[in-house]
Amino acid sequence: MIYSPYDWNEAIGHRKEYIETRLREGSPVIAISYQDGVLMVTIRRAQRKVFEIYDRIMFSGIGNQADIETLRISSIDFAHQEGFNRSPDDVSVHRLVGFSLSPPLKKAFGDQFTAPFVVRAIFAEMGRRKEEDSLYVLNYDGEFTEATSFAVVGGTLNAEDQMALSLIGVNSDIERDQAISRAFKAWSTGVLAVRKSGSQDHEESEIVNTENDEELNRVLEQELKTGVVEAAVLERSTLRESKFRHLTEKELEPILSAYRSGT
Amino acid sequence: MAHEGDFHSLLQRSSVAGIVPLQLEEREGRLNENIEVHGTTVIAVKYDRGVINIGDRRATANMTVMYDRAEKVLALDDYTLLAISGSYARAMEVVRYLRHSFKYFERSQLQPMSLDGKLSELARVIAQGLPLAMQGIGGFIPILSTYDIQSNEGRIFFYDGMGARFESAEYGAAGSGSQPIRGIFDYIVKIKKPFHQMNREEALREALLLLGIAADLDTATGGYYVVPPLAKTITAEGITDVGEDELRELIASLPGRN
Repeated sequence: MIYSPYDWNEAIGHRKEYIETRLREGSPVIAISYQDGVLMVTIRRAQRKVFEIYDRIMFSGIGNQADIETLRISSIDFAHQEGFNRSPDDVSVHRLVGFSLSPPLKKAFGDQFTAPFVVRAIFAEMGRRKEEDSLYVLNYDGEFTEATSFAVVGGTLNAEDQMALSLIGVNSDIERDQAISRAFKAWSTGVLAVRKSGSQDHEESEIVNTENDEELNRVLEQELKTGVVEAAVLERSTLRESKFRHLTEKELEPILSAYRSGT
Repeated sequence: MAHEGDFHSLLQRSSVAGIVPLQLEEREGRLNENIEVHGTTVIAVKYDRGVINIGDRRATANMTVMYDRAEKVLALDDYTLLAISGSYARAMEVVRYLRHSFKYFERSQLQPMSLDGKLSELARVIAQGLPLAMQGIGGFIPILSTYDIQSNEGRIFFYDGMGARFESAEYGAAGSGSQPIRGIFDYIVKIKKPFHQMNREEALREALLLLGIAADLDTATGGYYVVPPLAKTITAEGITDVGEDELRELIASLPGRN
Protein backbone atom coordinates (compact mmCIF):
# COMPACT_ATOMS: atom_id res chain seq x y z
CA MET A 1 0.00 0.00 0.00
CA ILE A 2 1.35 3.41 -0.93
CA TYR A 3 0.44 6.53 0.94
CA SER A 4 0.21 9.90 -0.68
CA PRO A 5 1.29 12.84 1.49
CA TYR A 6 -2.37 13.66 1.85
CA ASP A 7 -3.23 10.19 3.17
CA TRP A 8 -0.37 10.35 5.57
CA ASN A 9 -1.50 13.67 7.01
CA GLU A 10 -5.02 12.36 7.26
CA ALA A 11 -3.95 9.18 8.96
CA ILE A 12 -1.79 10.98 11.48
CA GLY A 13 -4.70 13.32 12.17
CA HIS A 14 -6.96 10.37 12.87
CA ARG A 15 -4.46 8.79 15.20
CA LYS A 16 -4.05 12.04 17.05
CA GLU A 17 -7.79 12.47 17.39
CA TYR A 18 -8.20 8.91 18.59
CA ILE A 19 -5.52 9.35 21.25
CA GLU A 20 -6.70 12.77 22.38
CA THR A 21 -10.24 11.48 22.82
CA ARG A 22 -9.01 8.70 25.04
CA LEU A 23 -6.81 11.02 27.09
CA ARG A 24 -9.66 13.43 27.88
CA GLU A 25 -10.88 11.48 30.88
CA GLY A 26 -7.48 11.28 32.48
CA SER A 27 -7.15 12.71 35.97
CA PRO A 28 -4.57 15.53 35.82
CA VAL A 29 -1.19 15.18 37.52
CA ILE A 30 0.80 18.12 38.84
CA ALA A 31 4.53 18.12 39.61
CA ILE A 32 6.04 20.94 41.64
CA SER A 33 9.61 21.52 42.70
CA TYR A 34 9.41 22.79 46.29
CA GLN A 35 11.90 23.82 48.95
CA ASP A 36 12.93 20.37 50.10
CA GLY A 37 12.26 18.21 47.08
CA VAL A 38 9.84 17.43 44.32
CA LEU A 39 6.15 16.70 44.65
CA MET A 40 3.58 14.93 42.46
CA VAL A 41 -0.13 15.20 43.17
CA THR A 42 -3.22 13.69 41.61
CA ILE A 43 -6.64 12.37 42.58
CA ARG A 44 -7.30 8.87 41.41
CA ARG A 45 -10.03 6.28 41.46
CA ALA A 46 -8.55 2.81 41.81
CA GLN A 47 -5.14 2.32 40.29
CA ARG A 48 -2.06 3.79 41.82
CA LYS A 49 -0.68 6.56 39.63
CA VAL A 50 2.62 7.88 40.95
CA PHE A 51 5.64 5.60 40.76
CA GLU A 52 9.27 5.56 41.75
CA ILE A 53 11.60 4.98 38.82
CA TYR A 54 15.03 5.41 40.34
CA ASP A 55 16.78 6.94 43.33
CA ARG A 56 15.88 10.48 42.31
CA ILE A 57 13.27 10.03 39.60
CA MET A 58 9.52 9.53 39.81
CA PHE A 59 6.86 9.18 37.19
CA SER A 60 3.16 9.48 36.56
CA GLY A 61 0.93 9.67 33.54
CA ILE A 62 -2.53 9.62 32.07
CA GLY A 63 -3.81 7.31 29.35
CA ASN A 64 -4.03 3.63 28.74
CA GLN A 65 -3.01 1.53 31.74
CA ALA A 66 -0.98 -0.90 29.67
CA ASP A 67 0.89 1.91 27.90
CA ILE A 68 1.66 3.64 31.19
CA GLU A 69 2.96 0.32 32.47
CA THR A 70 5.15 -0.18 29.40
CA LEU A 71 6.68 3.27 29.86
CA ARG A 72 7.17 2.67 33.56
CA ILE A 73 8.91 -0.66 33.12
CA SER A 74 11.18 0.52 30.31
CA SER A 75 12.14 3.52 32.42
CA ILE A 76 12.98 1.30 35.39
CA ASP A 77 14.96 -1.08 33.19
CA PHE A 78 16.94 1.74 31.59
CA ALA A 79 17.65 3.49 34.88
CA HIS A 80 18.80 0.39 36.75
CA GLN A 81 20.96 -0.87 33.93
CA GLU A 82 22.67 2.49 33.57
CA GLY A 83 22.91 3.02 37.31
CA PHE A 84 24.59 -0.32 37.80
CA ASN A 85 26.90 -0.26 34.80
CA ARG A 86 28.01 3.30 35.31
CA SER A 87 26.82 5.14 38.35
CA PRO A 88 23.52 6.29 39.86
CA ASP A 89 24.82 9.81 39.19
CA ASP A 90 24.72 9.15 35.46
CA VAL A 91 21.02 8.35 35.47
CA SER A 92 19.23 11.57 34.61
CA VAL A 93 15.69 12.26 33.55
CA HIS A 94 17.12 14.08 30.56
CA ARG A 95 18.82 10.94 29.27
CA LEU A 96 15.86 8.77 30.20
CA VAL A 97 13.20 10.80 28.41
CA GLY A 98 15.24 12.29 25.60
CA PHE A 99 17.20 9.28 24.44
CA SER A 100 15.49 6.21 25.81
CA LEU A 101 11.76 6.89 25.65
CA SER A 102 11.04 9.63 23.16
CA PRO A 103 12.33 7.96 19.94
CA PRO A 104 10.32 4.74 20.31
CA LEU A 105 7.18 6.75 21.13
CA LYS A 106 7.64 8.81 18.00
CA LYS A 107 8.20 5.67 16.00
CA ALA A 108 5.06 3.97 17.31
CA PHE A 109 3.04 7.12 16.67
CA GLY A 110 4.20 7.51 13.07
CA ASP A 111 4.00 3.84 12.15
CA GLN A 112 0.57 3.14 10.70
CA PHE A 113 0.91 -0.56 11.34
CA THR A 114 1.44 -0.49 15.07
CA ALA A 115 -0.83 0.75 17.80
CA PRO A 116 0.25 4.16 19.10
CA PHE A 117 0.88 4.79 22.77
CA VAL A 118 -2.09 6.39 24.48
CA VAL A 119 -0.21 8.23 27.15
CA ARG A 120 0.94 11.59 28.40
CA ALA A 121 3.63 11.13 30.99
CA ILE A 122 5.30 13.33 33.53
CA PHE A 123 8.74 12.73 35.02
CA ALA A 124 10.36 14.51 37.94
CA GLU A 125 13.98 14.39 38.95
CA MET A 126 15.22 15.78 42.24
CA GLY A 127 18.60 17.46 41.99
CA ARG A 128 21.11 17.83 44.81
CA ARG A 129 20.11 21.47 45.05
CA LYS A 130 16.68 22.80 44.30
CA GLU A 131 17.97 24.73 41.30
CA GLU A 132 18.82 21.38 39.74
CA ASP A 133 15.33 19.89 39.92
CA SER A 134 14.08 18.91 36.52
CA LEU A 135 10.56 18.13 35.31
CA TYR A 136 9.67 16.58 31.96
CA VAL A 137 6.40 16.08 30.17
CA LEU A 138 6.50 13.43 27.47
CA ASN A 139 3.72 13.30 24.89
CA TYR A 140 2.44 10.28 22.96
CA ASP A 141 4.13 11.53 19.76
CA GLY A 142 7.57 11.61 21.38
CA GLU A 143 7.61 15.36 21.90
CA PHE A 144 8.84 16.41 25.31
CA THR A 145 9.22 19.65 27.23
CA GLU A 146 11.33 20.50 30.21
CA ALA A 147 10.37 22.72 33.10
CA THR A 148 11.99 23.63 36.39
CA SER A 149 9.30 24.93 38.77
CA PHE A 150 6.19 23.02 37.84
CA ALA A 151 4.76 20.75 35.13
CA VAL A 152 1.34 19.31 34.45
CA VAL A 153 -0.45 16.70 32.39
CA GLY A 154 -4.18 16.91 31.86
CA GLY A 155 -7.02 15.65 29.69
CA THR A 156 -6.56 18.18 26.89
CA LEU A 157 -3.79 20.53 25.83
CA ASN A 158 -6.12 23.40 26.55
CA ALA A 159 -6.69 22.12 30.09
CA GLU A 160 -2.93 21.85 30.57
CA ASP A 161 -2.50 25.48 29.50
CA GLN A 162 -5.09 26.59 32.00
CA MET A 163 -3.55 24.52 34.77
CA ALA A 164 -0.20 26.10 34.02
CA LEU A 165 -1.82 29.54 34.21
CA SER A 166 -3.20 28.72 37.64
CA LEU A 167 0.28 27.70 38.80
CA ILE A 168 2.03 30.87 37.68
CA GLY A 169 4.07 32.31 40.52
CA VAL A 170 4.97 28.93 41.98
CA ASN A 171 8.72 28.65 42.40
CA SER A 172 10.98 26.36 44.36
CA ASP A 173 10.87 28.55 47.48
CA ILE A 174 7.37 27.25 48.09
CA GLU A 175 6.81 24.94 51.08
CA ARG A 176 5.44 21.46 50.67
CA ASP A 177 1.95 21.91 52.06
CA GLN A 178 1.52 25.16 50.23
CA ALA A 179 2.62 23.42 47.03
CA ILE A 180 0.01 20.72 47.61
CA SER A 181 -2.73 23.34 47.94
CA ARG A 182 -1.62 24.99 44.72
CA ALA A 183 -1.59 21.58 43.05
CA PHE A 184 -5.19 20.93 44.17
CA LYS A 185 -6.25 24.21 42.67
CA ALA A 186 -4.51 23.39 39.42
CA TRP A 187 -6.05 19.93 39.47
CA SER A 188 -9.60 21.23 39.70
CA THR A 189 -8.81 23.84 37.07
CA GLY A 190 -7.76 21.04 34.76
CA VAL A 191 -10.88 18.98 35.43
CA LEU A 192 -13.13 21.99 34.98
CA ALA A 193 -11.41 23.00 31.76
CA VAL A 194 -12.10 19.59 30.22
CA ARG A 195 -15.73 19.68 31.34
CA LYS A 196 -16.28 23.14 29.95
CA SER A 197 -14.81 22.28 26.60
CA GLY A 198 -17.88 20.10 26.03
CA SER A 199 -17.73 17.17 23.70
CA GLN A 200 -15.23 18.65 21.27
CA ASP A 201 -11.88 20.03 22.12
CA HIS A 202 -11.71 23.27 20.21
CA GLU A 203 -9.73 26.41 20.69
CA GLU A 204 -12.80 28.40 21.67
CA SER A 205 -13.45 26.34 24.80
CA GLU A 206 -14.30 28.43 27.77
CA ILE A 207 -11.52 29.71 29.98
CA VAL A 208 -11.73 28.59 33.59
CA ASN A 209 -11.83 31.50 35.97
CA THR A 210 -9.04 30.60 38.36
CA GLU A 211 -10.08 33.45 40.65
CA ASN A 212 -13.38 31.70 41.27
CA ASP A 213 -12.26 29.61 44.21
CA GLU A 214 -15.80 28.61 45.05
CA GLU A 215 -16.34 26.84 41.77
CA LEU A 216 -12.95 25.12 41.96
CA ASN A 217 -13.50 24.03 45.53
CA ARG A 218 -16.85 22.57 44.59
CA VAL A 219 -15.18 20.41 41.96
CA LEU A 220 -12.62 19.24 44.46
CA GLU A 221 -15.17 18.57 47.18
CA GLN A 222 -17.17 16.46 44.76
CA GLU A 223 -14.18 14.50 43.50
CA LEU A 224 -12.88 13.83 46.99
CA LYS A 225 -16.05 11.91 47.78
CA THR A 226 -15.16 9.17 45.33
CA GLY A 227 -11.50 9.73 44.63
CA VAL A 228 -8.31 9.19 46.57
CA VAL A 229 -5.61 11.82 46.83
CA GLU A 230 -2.25 10.49 45.83
CA ALA A 231 0.73 12.65 46.69
CA ALA A 232 4.31 11.44 46.48
CA VAL A 233 7.57 13.21 47.16
CA LEU A 234 11.27 12.87 46.56
CA GLU A 235 12.86 14.39 49.62
CA ARG A 236 16.23 16.09 49.48
CA SER A 237 17.10 16.12 53.16
CA THR A 238 15.75 12.73 54.23
CA LEU A 239 18.09 10.38 56.07
CA ARG A 240 16.34 7.35 54.64
CA GLU A 241 17.95 5.31 51.87
CA SER A 242 14.89 5.85 49.68
CA LYS A 243 14.17 9.44 48.82
CA PHE A 244 10.79 8.53 47.38
CA ARG A 245 7.68 8.07 49.48
CA HIS A 246 3.96 8.57 49.37
CA LEU A 247 2.58 11.15 51.77
CA THR A 248 0.38 9.57 54.41
CA GLU A 249 -3.28 10.32 54.97
CA LYS A 250 -2.30 11.94 58.25
CA GLU A 251 -0.02 14.38 56.46
CA LEU A 252 -2.62 15.20 53.83
CA GLU A 253 -5.69 15.51 56.03
CA PRO A 254 -4.96 19.01 57.40
CA ILE A 255 -4.78 20.32 53.84
CA LEU A 256 -7.75 18.29 52.63
CA SER A 257 -10.12 19.05 55.47
CA ALA A 258 -10.57 22.57 54.08
CA TYR A 259 -12.18 21.09 50.99
CA ARG A 260 -14.45 18.58 52.63
CA SER A 261 -18.11 19.44 52.93
CA GLY A 262 -19.26 21.29 56.00
CA THR A 263 -16.47 23.87 55.84
CA MET B 1 4.89 -10.51 28.79
CA ALA B 2 5.20 -11.02 32.50
CA HIS B 3 7.78 -9.01 34.32
CA GLU B 4 9.39 -10.74 37.24
CA GLY B 5 11.48 -7.89 38.56
CA ASP B 6 14.63 -9.95 38.43
CA PHE B 7 17.65 -7.69 38.04
CA HIS B 8 19.87 -10.66 37.33
CA SER B 9 17.96 -11.52 34.16
CA LEU B 10 17.79 -7.86 33.14
CA LEU B 11 21.59 -7.79 33.12
CA GLN B 12 21.71 -11.03 31.18
CA ARG B 13 19.20 -9.77 28.61
CA SER B 14 21.22 -6.64 28.06
CA SER B 15 24.39 -8.74 27.96
CA VAL B 16 26.44 -6.25 29.87
CA ALA B 17 29.46 -7.33 31.79
CA GLY B 18 28.31 -7.04 35.34
CA ILE B 19 28.51 -9.14 38.38
CA VAL B 20 26.59 -11.99 36.83
CA PRO B 21 28.34 -13.19 33.72
CA LEU B 22 31.45 -14.22 35.55
CA GLN B 23 31.91 -17.16 33.21
CA LEU B 24 34.78 -19.16 34.50
CA GLU B 25 36.71 -21.86 32.84
CA GLU B 26 38.11 -24.74 34.73
CA ARG B 27 41.72 -23.90 35.30
CA GLU B 28 44.69 -26.05 35.93
CA GLY B 29 46.64 -25.36 39.02
CA ARG B 30 46.58 -25.56 42.73
CA LEU B 31 43.47 -24.42 44.45
CA ASN B 32 43.90 -21.99 47.24
CA GLU B 33 43.08 -24.03 50.27
CA ASN B 34 42.33 -21.08 52.41
CA ILE B 35 39.23 -19.48 50.92
CA GLU B 36 38.61 -17.29 53.87
CA VAL B 37 41.53 -14.99 53.44
CA HIS B 38 40.21 -11.73 54.74
CA GLY B 39 41.83 -9.30 57.02
CA THR B 40 39.21 -7.44 58.96
CA THR B 41 36.71 -7.69 61.79
CA VAL B 42 33.05 -6.89 61.43
CA ILE B 43 30.59 -7.50 64.25
CA ALA B 44 26.81 -7.53 64.43
CA VAL B 45 25.04 -7.72 67.79
CA LYS B 46 21.39 -7.44 68.68
CA TYR B 47 20.11 -4.98 71.24
CA ASP B 48 16.70 -4.20 72.65
CA ARG B 49 15.62 -2.04 69.74
CA GLY B 50 17.30 -3.76 66.81
CA VAL B 51 20.79 -4.56 65.61
CA ILE B 52 24.15 -2.79 65.87
CA ASN B 53 26.79 -3.29 63.17
CA ILE B 54 30.36 -2.27 63.74
CA GLY B 55 33.47 -2.65 61.62
CA ASP B 56 37.08 -1.52 61.75
CA ARG B 57 38.29 0.71 58.94
CA ARG B 58 41.50 -1.02 57.89
CA ALA B 59 41.96 -2.43 54.41
CA THR B 60 45.00 -4.64 53.95
CA ALA B 61 46.86 -6.25 51.08
CA ASN B 62 49.16 -8.99 52.35
CA MET B 63 51.30 -7.27 54.97
CA THR B 64 50.49 -3.76 53.86
CA VAL B 65 47.84 -1.47 55.28
CA MET B 66 46.25 -0.11 52.11
CA TYR B 67 43.68 2.24 53.49
CA ASP B 68 42.53 3.44 56.88
CA ARG B 69 39.04 4.57 56.08
CA ALA B 70 37.43 1.60 54.40
CA GLU B 71 33.69 1.30 54.96
CA LYS B 72 32.74 -2.26 55.67
CA VAL B 73 29.22 -1.75 56.95
CA LEU B 74 26.98 -0.82 54.07
CA ALA B 75 23.27 -0.18 53.72
CA LEU B 76 21.47 -2.28 51.13
CA ASP B 77 18.13 -0.61 51.71
CA ASP B 78 16.25 1.19 54.48
CA TYR B 79 16.30 -1.80 56.82
CA THR B 80 19.19 -3.99 55.70
CA LEU B 81 22.90 -3.72 56.49
CA LEU B 82 25.67 -5.80 55.02
CA ALA B 83 28.91 -6.08 56.98
CA ILE B 84 31.62 -7.41 54.73
CA SER B 85 34.88 -9.25 55.18
CA GLY B 86 37.19 -10.62 52.54
CA SER B 87 37.80 -9.30 49.06
CA TYR B 88 36.86 -5.66 49.20
CA ALA B 89 36.55 -5.25 45.43
CA ARG B 90 34.18 -8.16 45.04
CA ALA B 91 32.19 -7.18 48.13
CA MET B 92 31.67 -3.63 46.89
CA GLU B 93 30.50 -5.00 43.56
CA VAL B 94 28.10 -7.33 45.33
CA VAL B 95 26.74 -4.47 47.44
CA ARG B 96 26.16 -2.39 44.31
CA TYR B 97 24.46 -5.35 42.68
CA LEU B 98 22.23 -6.12 45.65
CA ARG B 99 21.18 -2.51 46.10
CA HIS B 100 20.05 -2.44 42.51
CA SER B 101 18.52 -5.86 42.67
CA PHE B 102 16.39 -5.15 45.75
CA LYS B 103 15.24 -1.80 44.47
CA TYR B 104 14.66 -3.06 40.97
CA PHE B 105 12.31 -5.68 42.35
CA GLU B 106 10.50 -3.24 44.61
CA ARG B 107 10.12 -0.53 41.99
CA SER B 108 9.00 -2.81 39.19
CA GLN B 109 6.80 -5.16 41.22
CA LEU B 110 5.43 -2.44 43.53
CA GLN B 111 6.12 -4.48 46.64
CA PRO B 112 9.33 -4.82 48.62
CA MET B 113 11.36 -7.98 48.17
CA SER B 114 10.72 -10.32 51.08
CA LEU B 115 13.43 -10.92 53.64
CA ASP B 116 13.74 -14.48 52.44
CA GLY B 117 14.05 -13.26 48.86
CA LYS B 118 16.87 -10.93 49.84
CA LEU B 119 18.69 -13.65 51.74
CA SER B 120 18.48 -16.01 48.78
CA GLU B 121 19.68 -13.32 46.41
CA LEU B 122 22.78 -12.83 48.57
CA ALA B 123 23.35 -16.60 48.74
CA ARG B 124 23.12 -16.76 44.95
CA VAL B 125 25.78 -14.08 44.51
CA ILE B 126 28.13 -15.72 46.98
CA ALA B 127 27.71 -19.09 45.26
CA GLN B 128 28.42 -17.51 41.89
CA GLY B 129 31.71 -16.17 43.15
CA LEU B 130 32.75 -19.53 44.54
CA PRO B 131 34.77 -20.85 41.55
CA LEU B 132 36.92 -17.72 41.64
CA ALA B 133 37.11 -17.74 45.41
CA MET B 134 38.44 -21.30 45.22
CA GLN B 135 41.34 -19.90 43.24
CA GLY B 136 41.92 -17.31 45.88
CA ILE B 137 40.26 -14.40 44.10
CA GLY B 138 37.35 -12.41 45.36
CA GLY B 139 36.18 -14.59 48.23
CA PHE B 140 34.14 -12.71 50.75
CA ILE B 141 31.97 -13.53 53.75
CA PRO B 142 29.17 -11.16 54.71
CA ILE B 143 26.87 -10.76 57.69
CA LEU B 144 23.43 -9.52 56.85
CA SER B 145 21.48 -7.68 59.54
CA THR B 146 17.97 -6.48 59.15
CA TYR B 147 14.98 -5.25 61.04
CA ASP B 148 12.09 -7.59 60.44
CA ILE B 149 9.01 -5.40 60.28
CA GLN B 150 6.71 -8.43 60.31
CA SER B 151 7.98 -9.78 63.62
CA ASN B 152 9.24 -6.45 65.00
CA GLU B 153 12.75 -7.57 65.84
CA GLY B 154 16.30 -7.29 64.63
CA ARG B 155 17.70 -10.35 62.87
CA ILE B 156 21.23 -11.42 62.01
CA PHE B 157 22.27 -13.86 59.29
CA PHE B 158 25.71 -15.11 58.44
CA TYR B 159 26.98 -17.08 55.46
CA ASP B 160 29.72 -19.51 54.63
CA GLY B 161 31.87 -19.34 51.50
CA MET B 162 29.45 -21.45 49.48
CA GLY B 163 26.42 -19.34 50.20
CA ALA B 164 24.83 -21.37 52.98
CA ARG B 165 22.86 -19.13 55.28
CA PHE B 166 22.50 -19.37 59.05
CA GLU B 167 20.49 -17.26 61.43
CA SER B 168 22.11 -16.21 64.64
CA ALA B 169 20.17 -15.60 67.82
CA GLU B 170 22.44 -12.98 69.38
CA TYR B 171 25.45 -11.95 67.34
CA GLY B 172 27.53 -12.50 64.22
CA ALA B 173 31.15 -11.79 63.39
CA ALA B 174 33.30 -12.24 60.30
CA GLY B 175 36.86 -11.58 59.22
CA SER B 176 40.27 -12.70 60.40
CA GLY B 177 39.83 -10.91 63.70
CA SER B 178 36.56 -12.69 64.41
CA GLN B 179 38.22 -16.05 65.10
CA PRO B 180 40.18 -15.09 68.25
CA ILE B 181 37.16 -13.37 69.81
CA ARG B 182 34.53 -16.01 69.09
CA GLY B 183 34.38 -17.35 72.60
CA ILE B 184 34.02 -13.93 74.15
CA PHE B 185 30.57 -13.48 72.64
CA ASP B 186 29.37 -16.63 74.38
CA TYR B 187 31.00 -15.54 77.61
CA ILE B 188 29.21 -12.19 77.52
CA VAL B 189 25.85 -13.80 76.75
CA LYS B 190 26.21 -16.31 79.56
CA ILE B 191 27.83 -14.15 82.22
CA LYS B 192 26.43 -10.67 81.62
CA LYS B 193 23.22 -10.92 79.64
CA PRO B 194 22.01 -11.74 76.16
CA PHE B 195 22.73 -8.96 73.68
CA HIS B 196 19.07 -8.56 72.75
CA GLN B 197 18.32 -7.50 76.33
CA MET B 198 20.97 -4.81 76.39
CA ASN B 199 20.17 -1.20 75.65
CA ARG B 200 21.91 0.64 72.88
CA GLU B 201 24.81 1.93 74.95
CA GLU B 202 25.50 -1.38 76.65
CA ALA B 203 25.50 -3.29 73.37
CA LEU B 204 27.63 -0.65 71.69
CA ARG B 205 30.19 -0.82 74.52
CA GLU B 206 30.43 -4.59 74.29
CA ALA B 207 30.79 -4.46 70.53
CA LEU B 208 33.55 -1.84 70.77
CA LEU B 209 35.35 -3.83 73.42
CA LEU B 210 35.17 -6.95 71.25
CA LEU B 211 36.51 -5.03 68.27
CA GLY B 212 39.35 -3.69 70.40
CA ILE B 213 40.34 -7.18 71.51
CA ALA B 214 40.15 -8.40 67.91
CA ALA B 215 42.47 -5.58 66.90
CA ASP B 216 44.91 -6.53 69.65
CA LEU B 217 45.00 -10.15 68.47
CA ASP B 218 44.82 -9.70 64.72
CA THR B 219 47.20 -7.52 62.72
CA ALA B 220 44.76 -7.07 59.87
CA THR B 221 42.16 -5.48 62.10
CA GLY B 222 42.54 -1.78 62.69
CA GLY B 223 41.89 -0.62 66.23
CA TYR B 224 40.13 2.54 67.09
CA TYR B 225 42.96 4.85 68.01
CA VAL B 226 43.72 6.30 64.61
CA VAL B 227 40.26 6.30 63.08
CA PRO B 228 37.09 5.43 65.00
CA PRO B 229 35.29 2.35 63.70
CA LEU B 230 32.16 2.59 61.62
CA ALA B 231 28.99 1.80 63.56
CA LYS B 232 25.40 1.76 62.38
CA THR B 233 22.13 0.71 63.99
CA ILE B 234 18.93 -0.67 62.47
CA THR B 235 15.68 -0.13 64.31
CA ALA B 236 12.03 0.06 63.35
CA GLU B 237 12.81 3.59 62.15
CA GLY B 238 15.52 2.47 59.78
CA ILE B 239 19.29 2.77 59.63
CA THR B 240 21.20 5.38 61.61
CA ASP B 241 24.90 6.14 61.86
CA VAL B 242 26.41 6.22 65.32
CA GLY B 243 28.14 9.58 65.54
CA GLU B 244 31.92 9.82 65.75
CA ASP B 245 31.77 11.89 68.91
CA GLU B 246 29.64 9.31 70.67
CA LEU B 247 32.06 6.57 69.61
CA ARG B 248 35.09 8.50 70.85
CA GLU B 249 33.41 9.09 74.17
CA LEU B 250 32.53 5.42 74.58
CA ILE B 251 36.00 4.33 73.53
CA ALA B 252 37.57 6.61 76.12
CA SER B 253 35.46 4.98 78.83
CA LEU B 254 36.30 1.37 77.92
CA PRO B 255 38.13 -0.68 80.58
CA GLY B 256 41.85 -1.14 80.17
CA ARG B 257 42.16 1.82 77.82
CA ASN B 258 43.77 5.06 78.76
